Amino acid sequence: MPLWFARGLHRGVVTSRYPARTDDSSVFLPTPPAFRPVALTRSVADELCAACPSGALRREEDVLVYDLGACTACGRCAEVAPEAVVPSGEFELATLSRSALIKRIPLAGPDR
Amino acid sequence: MSGIDETAAELRRRIGGQFGRSLHIRTLDTGSCAACEQEIRLLAAPHYDLHRLGLFFTPAPRHADLLLVTGPMVRVMDTAVRKTFEAIPSPKVVVATGACALGGVYREDPFVHGDAGKVLPVDVWIPGCPPSPLALLQGLLVAVGRLAQKTPGLSFTVDAP
Repeated sequence: MPLWFARGLHRGVVTSRYPARTDDSSVFLPTPPAFRPVALTRSVADELCAACPSGALRREEDVLVYDLGACTACGRCAEVAPEAVVPSGEFELATLSRSALIKRIPLAGPDR
Repeated sequence: MSGIDETAAELRRRIGGQFGRSLHIRTLDTGSCAACEQEIRLLAAPHYDLHRLGLFFTPAPRHADLLLVTGPMVRVMDTAVRKTFEAIPSPKVVVATGACALGGVYREDPFVHGDAGKVLPVDVWIPGCPPSPLALLQGLLVAVGRLAQKTPGLSFTVDAP
């Protein structure tokens, strides 16, 4: 009999918890991008916005607005500007509010 | 914290107490490409095994506590979406799953609403295209208040070269 089942019968709770550590295979998952503000200029940001197929990126003056909810983690932004975009490695992203998924990233590149 | 937030927090606490270890899920495909369904199906596989967490799939909305919506909300599904939502007994939780349901991919398409929030009172948003089974599991446990949400604290920026 599995140990968790015996323990569950003893406590009266037979359900278990969410895994304490993430799965080994999760490193192979495509994950949303993380941005490097010091490498982001206006022109780089515009290139990223043009490359995004799902409309997850847009530029508002000196801020790159990244909508995590719209992002499909396709990796095209990382192809366009590998010095400014890397995979974030985050995939446990559920939230209780839609607005928490919209990230504002200030451009901090030289002569932006 | 505003009054609405407090009410929402209170509701969440109560729902968490009720559904914490027995939650029945009805999935609703509103025109998705079935990638989300593939991942949802994998939740029941031995590797993820959502039953050990006290979560179950049900084919009948009347038996369900949680509506798991995928797809960009095509307009021909309006009646089905409304009937399914109304058939679920209160209190109920609505979870939007995948970039389509979050208003990403088909934002401009005239045949879809493009965002589950325009049609349903969505409680939890799970991004991803498709979200992996672990991401779905985390979303479901956030919905019943067993896990804290993580995303509001993440900035999606990196400093080091």
